[in-house]
Amino acid sequence: MSEADPGAGAGAGRTTDAHSDLYVVGQEVPPPSDVNDTLVVGALVVAGVCAIVFPVALFLGLPLVVYGGGLAVGLLALAVAVRRYFIAAYPEINAVQPRESAAASEDLRASTPVSDVRRVARRSLLGRALVGVAGLFGLSTLSFVASLGPKPSDELARTSWRPGARLVTGEGSPLRPADVGIGGVATVWPEGAVLVEDSAVLLVRLSNRRPRPPTNLDWVVDETLVAYSKICTHAGCPVGLFREQDSVLFCPCHQSTFDAARGAIPTFGPTARALPQLPMDVDDAGFLVALGDFTEQVGPAYG
Amino acid sequence: MTPLFALLFDSLDERLRLRAPGRKVVNKVFPEHWAFLLGEVALFSFVVLVLTGVFLTMFYTPSVDPVTYTGENPLYRGQVLPGAFESIVRLSSDVDGGLLFRRIHRGASHLFVASIVLHMLRVILTGAFRRPREINYHLGIVLLLLSFASGFTGQSLPYDLLAGTGIRIAYTELLSTPFIGDRLAFWVFGGDFPGTDVIPRFFTFHVLALPGLIVAVMTLHLVIVARQTHTQFPSARVDGHRQVLGKPLWPSQFHVSTTLVLWLGGVLTLAAVLVPWSDEALVAPYLVGDITNQAQPEWFMFWLEGALRIFPPVEFSLLGMTVSGPFVAGALFPALIIALLVAYPTIEKRFYGLRGDWHVLQNPLEIPLRAAFASGFFGFLLLMAAAATNDILSRLTSVPIEAITWFFRIASLVLPPAVAVLLYRYSSARLRRAGLRVARVENTADRA
Repeated sequence: MSEADPGAGAGAGRTTDAHSDLYVVGQEVPPPSDVNDTLVVGALVVAGVCAIVFPVALFLGLPLVVYGGGLAVGLLALAVAVRRYFIAAYPEINAVQPRESAAASEDLRASTPVSDVRRVARRSLLGRALVGVAGLFGLSTLSFVASLGPKPSDELARTSWRPGARLVTGEGSPLRPADVGIGGVATVWPEGAVLVEDSAVLLVRLSNRRPRPPTNLDWVVDETLVAYSKICTHAGCPVGLFREQDSVLFCPCHQSTFDAARGAIPTFGPTARALPQLPMDVDDAGFLVALGDFTEQVGPAYG
Repeated sequence: MTPLFALLFDSLDERLRLRAPGRKVVNKVFPEHWAFLLGEVALFSFVVLVLTGVFLTMFYTPSVDPVTYTGENPLYRGQVLPGAFESIVRLSSDVDGGLLFRRIHRGASHLFVASIVLHMLRVILTGAFRRPREINYHLGIVLLLLSFASGFTGQSLPYDLLAGTGIRIAYTELLSTPFIGDRLAFWVFGGDFPGTDVIPRFFTFHVLALPGLIVAVMTLHLVIVARQTHTQFPSARVDGHRQVLGKPLWPSQFHVSTTLVLWLGGVLTLAAVLVPWSDEALVAPYLVGDITNQAQPEWFMFWLEGALRIFPPVEFSLLGMTVSGPFVAGALFPALIIALLVAYPTIEKRFYGLRGDWHVLQNPLEIPLRAAFASGFFGFLLLMAAAATNDILSRLTSVPIEAITWFFRIASLVLPPAVAVLLYRYSSARLRRAGLRVARVENTADRA
């Protein structure tokens, strides 16, 4: 009987602790066993190997039997390790808990409360190895995230603009320089790639200011018509507003402000990069065309 | 405990006062018996279902709109398929690990329902449903029905031939409800069968409504188990009415349960590697008017399917409503079965005039009524389930399907009552020989 057990005196009635505490009525301390320790280590090695086989096989596109088998065998090996480890590390306990309706009876008070049961002092390395391998295994099961999407190639580095691609409206009709009047703006797309997000372009007709460097003047048509990527370089919103009197492009999301007469460099707000300018010219039929893809990164930065 | 962990725990304990309630939780005793782990198996299968289910929802498209499949599966490349079916073909053939997770999900769903059924059987046979545990018994029935609904909606989502057939029969069942059938069916399906709403709606039921309900009811179920303490088999070492003897949650039961989780995960994964769970269902997408030769639902629906197959051809008008075979066999009959299941604890209590609380489990052969109920009731359901295979039985035995159907019609009416009566008499005689009577109050001290 534990000295600290409250209300354990002879003849005491129901004790406050009796409802929640357990009493050990049988306790068997396992004998130290090298065989058992070897089993734990062996199972942990298998589980560790499987923790590597599963993600690697999945990544290499090996058959289901390989990665599925790795996952299955790993889980089973981990089960063996946990079981063998606990059998040796803790005493086998039989405990009695009084049901709510009854107080602990006299014979129970002579037993040890379960909170006094201690772990068997054994090799602590085994426990650490178990936790380590279990953690490794848990991490390896997360490798399924690689299946959620394709491996990125150059999608983010390029857009749909090609040499000779006409600038068309959302309805797909090509534009002549005269279609954008003084102080006018139009959202345009490459022919054949209407509504492709990263290819949206703002066509701006400057009125009271002439474009000057860092604007690439070779890509300006009629001396006042310039084209910039519409995707804000801060957080990727469409730069939707044009203030004619000072030729300013303005993003409604976080108020990044670009000077359309000076290569759309940022003049205010949170963005750090200019809107890329579209290489633009007029083809033989008199329609606006691109000379090629943007030469700078379109839209926000990526890692 | 490492110093860092101890520090973290201490700082949490200062704020949340975890030690006392934590100790209370850890101080639970779990009596040892393999059958007591069936509920845990159900719980852990549910966890596996949620984990794999999250992965599957990343790829599944809840739509019947036609889509051209462009992936690598040679069987379907270039074909126009219903969106749901197309997304499952893509998941299985073109996503690394997709087929594995899908198979684990399927396997776990079978295990989930099966372990709930077996758990219920254990509870009924041993009398764990008696006062004060009637509430948990009834919550268990709710969980069983929720697992059926999850299984059925989940089986429907691929929108393959068998799924479409099952959905069509469910539509028929809704339609067959007297007076409001047409309206009810249109509510669920958003119009006439098949329509385009049923798959998105089944998806919402399957991934949101049903799992949410299962989590809620399961939590309540477990809280009540902890609160009421576990039942146990009679033991000479302890007065089972007043105390419970077993393994404390920490460390003994903890390692049993952890091992069980890992074993289940391993076995389910191994099964997924070896058994092509339901892959064969991907033989064809559902197209109105198509059907497979053998149209069996999932095994846990067999008892309903069997009833539909062997119920006599009935269709008549009564008080302005149409009563049809599908309504009687597919709606009234299961309602009656569930009602009987719900009512049994009360019936037994009244029959024997039981009083007070009961914590010690019994051998069903010591309670003649229970022996009769369990054998008759489950025998009947088994016969019904067997009747769902009448076409296969006919092919295997070369007995005409009519003869087999008639066999099940007669057997289901005669055999279960006969077995029930036999067992009632056998158990009564057994009690008499031992000089015992069915006790009205639990008093284990007397018995020991």
